[in-house]
Amino acid sequence: MLLGAAARMEEKGAITGRQRDQFPVGMRVLAVDDDPVCLKVLETLLRRCQYHVTTTNQAITALKLLRENRDMFDLVISDVHMPDMDGFKLLELVGLEMDLPVIMLSVNGETKSVMKGITHGACDYLLKPVRVEELRNIWQHVVRRKFSKRERSNLDIYKDFNKLPSTDPCHSHNQIIAGACDQSGRISKKRKEMHSDEEDDGEENDFQESDEPSAAKKPRVVWSIELHRKFVAAVNQLGIDKAVPKRILELMNVEKLTRENVASHLQKYRLYLKRLSAVASQQASIVAAFGGRDPSFLHMGAFEGLQSYQPFAPCAALSSFSPHGLLGRTSAATFGVPELAPAMTVQTATNNGIISHCAGDANKFQLSGLQENQQANLGQGSTTSLGLPQLQQKWIQQETNDLSAFFSGSALANTLSGALQRVTSSPLPPQELLESAQTKVSAQPPITMPSVSSELVERTVGVSANLQDSSISQQGALPINDGFTADKLQLHDPFDSTGGTRFSVNMLVCPSGSITASSNTKGGASSCSTVLLAPDTGRHPNYLQFGVAGNSRHDMNEIKQDHLHQGLSTGSFNHNFGACMTEQTNPNVPYLMPQMKPNTMASEDKLKQRNIYDLGIPKLHGGFSSSSCNFDGLLNSMIKAEKDDLSFTDNDLGCDFFPLGACI
Amino acid sequence: MEYSNLQRQAASLKKSLFDQGYLDEQFCQIEYLQDEASPNFTEEVVSLFFENSTRLMTNIEQAMEKNPRDFSRWDVNMQQLKGSCSSIGASRMKNECTSFRNICGDENAEGCMRSFQNLKREHGVLRQKLESYFQVLRQAGPAVTAARPRGM
Repeated sequence: MLLGAAARMEEKGAITGRQRDQFPVGMRVLAVDDDPVCLKVLETLLRRCQYHVTTTNQAITALKLLRENRDMFDLVISDVHMPDMDGFKLLELVGLEMDLPVIMLSVNGETKSVMKGITHGACDYLLKPVRVEELRNIWQHVVRRKFSKRERSNLDIYKDFNKLPSTDPCHSHNQIIAGACDQSGRISKKRKEMHSDEEDDGEENDFQESDEPSAAKKPRVVWSIELHRKFVAAVNQLGIDKAVPKRILELMNVEKLTRENVASHLQKYRLYLKRLSAVASQQASIVAAFGGRDPSFLHMGAFEGLQSYQPFAPCAALSSFSPHGLLGRTSAATFGVPELAPAMTVQTATNNGIISHCAGDANKFQLSGLQENQQANLGQGSTTSLGLPQLQQKWIQQETNDLSAFFSGSALANTLSGALQRVTSSPLPPQELLESAQTKVSAQPPITMPSVSSELVERTVGVSANLQDSSISQQGALPINDGFTADKLQLHDPFDSTGGTRFSVNMLVCPSGSITASSNTKGGASSCSTVLLAPDTGRHPNYLQFGVAGNSRHDMNEIKQDHLHQGLSTGSFNHNFGACMTEQTNPNVPYLMPQMKPNTMASEDKLKQRNIYDLGIPKLHGGFSSSSCNFDGLLNSMIKAEKDDLSFTDNDLGCDFFPLGACI
Repeated sequence: MEYSNLQRQAASLKKSLFDQGYLDEQFCQIEYLQDEASPNFTEEVVSLFFENSTRLMTNIEQAMEKNPRDFSRWDVNMQQLKGSCSSIGASRMKNECTSFRNICGDENAEGCMRSFQNLKREHGVLRQKLESYFQVLRQAGPAVTAARPRGM
């Protein structure tokens, strides 16, 4: 039936091809509403605007139509409340799979519903009853998408711009990394970039052709793991608040990738982060419960353990941020939650700056110090040999970073910035960061952390590459500066009652990175979750166990692009690697790195990944934290934590604990 | 003469529907959509509405009987009905739906029952009035729609 309908639609499409030249006349709209009265009225209204309308009263049918005929429609307009599928869910899927603009309709105009629509990616939210005037302009959403794509494909400026290595901090950073890293890492990195470029070429050729206003042909970019990593790195580098598609595109420096691709990917990524933050908050609360401390003062407690934990004063300030605010912030996709006090926002911005700054320093510092360690760790060339703990740590760190960055949004930024500054100056920064990051996480009760933490773990693990992500690596970087030692990690123990402190320490390290990254990547979200992981020690061991490297490889294959936006998946978004991990842990969250390449997890890959991130991210790579940490200790603590705490597997993030052996 | 009388009558009926709050601006949108291509669009939509709303109200009534105090279910059903009402501009009914939902939120089962009874009554009255209106309209002929006043 559907095929028949599709064929008919194709005919119609052909017939109205001429119409499409007169865009917006003839724009092909798919209208979905279970109420026959609304649907009929809507259809007629749309026809009055001279659009070409197809209607269905079932979301499932709508999806089928869209899936079978990707180029059949220019725009989808859907009711929110439908019996067979939640309108938001449809919205997500359409956005993810088909990258079409979706307009939500509802009789309910409550702020939270509208917000939900926005965060799920709706390009507009209309209240019923809809008037014809409102529908006359909906074509703008189609044009906007195409326009940005076209813009990108028509400009070579980005390419030229990106070819100035001296001006690009990423490049120099990359050079540093490259120099420090294992040869194979570099080589593999190059291979990856080439590969991803090739991939992209194939995907994006069509962009050049999409000049038609009607999105008759929308080239679908396949967001490979590599590509995504670059994306995340770029976002992290820019800071989630400032990550605009154009800049991201420049930083990514991928041929034939258009701004529109990046824009839509960014949108999805933000949604993902938002969801992660939601999870992270949950995790945070769990962590808080876990640590048996007042979440808001978790970091404070951690500080107690740490010597002269003064630097965290700012963190304390952060801890006072209402988790909800933070959560709101992160969940606001746009990162501009009104709930956040202006100060917070300002801080965030500042923090990001600071963090970047610190990260930069830390990175350098770290690089020299960590490189060795990391190389030792990573240089093994294989994930297995790497010493999973280290990898895990790194991943975790990344996760943490991501999560913390993402999660706490400005709060983290504040803390982290403070921490970061301190990091460079004091030996404890990493811990602080971690703690603050952790605190952040736990301080956010609204966020369901449990799942987050698992995500974190996963993410961090898989994230080894992610570490590169600005968010994580930065944070991680901080502690490393001081040659973060295991001892320091231990300090975090107080933070995490189950001994996950150590774990969390790692995570915190990452969080700094995540702060910056939070804005840009889902990784941020994951980092938040990772931060939580620390508290949720139970999780960590498992994640760490996973031999992230192994898992990531393992899971990468399974990761589907669609999952990217699932957000909830434990930190899959940013990090392909992490995705592996997270995927495992969170069965519910389909969101896993899309197109993760199996070999990403290889230590080489990790290095590469890190390098990739380094490019765009001044932050320190997670590697540093892991190298300096007492991995064994961490692992042990984590394992213990894991045993003790099994509660985090609830919520959306299910944790699949894959045996390391399986992963590797 | 009679033609214009019928026209006036139709216009008057319509005006009173608006004045008494039975209908709102959205109804004008519906009429606006009527054209040569769909000359009876308004009436079609209205009868579709009554068909649909009757079904929805039966659902609600059954839910209230079989799922006592299942406020979220009642709310969901009522939201559907509200959407439908708003689409044709059935203003009073829509307001009653809103009221019902608020009472539902307060988890006041008896209040919900009363609200629902109001809704049923409004539903009946609106149906009756619109049927009279369309009857006169039909008699008055298609010209009436062109002459109808807007934004009453």
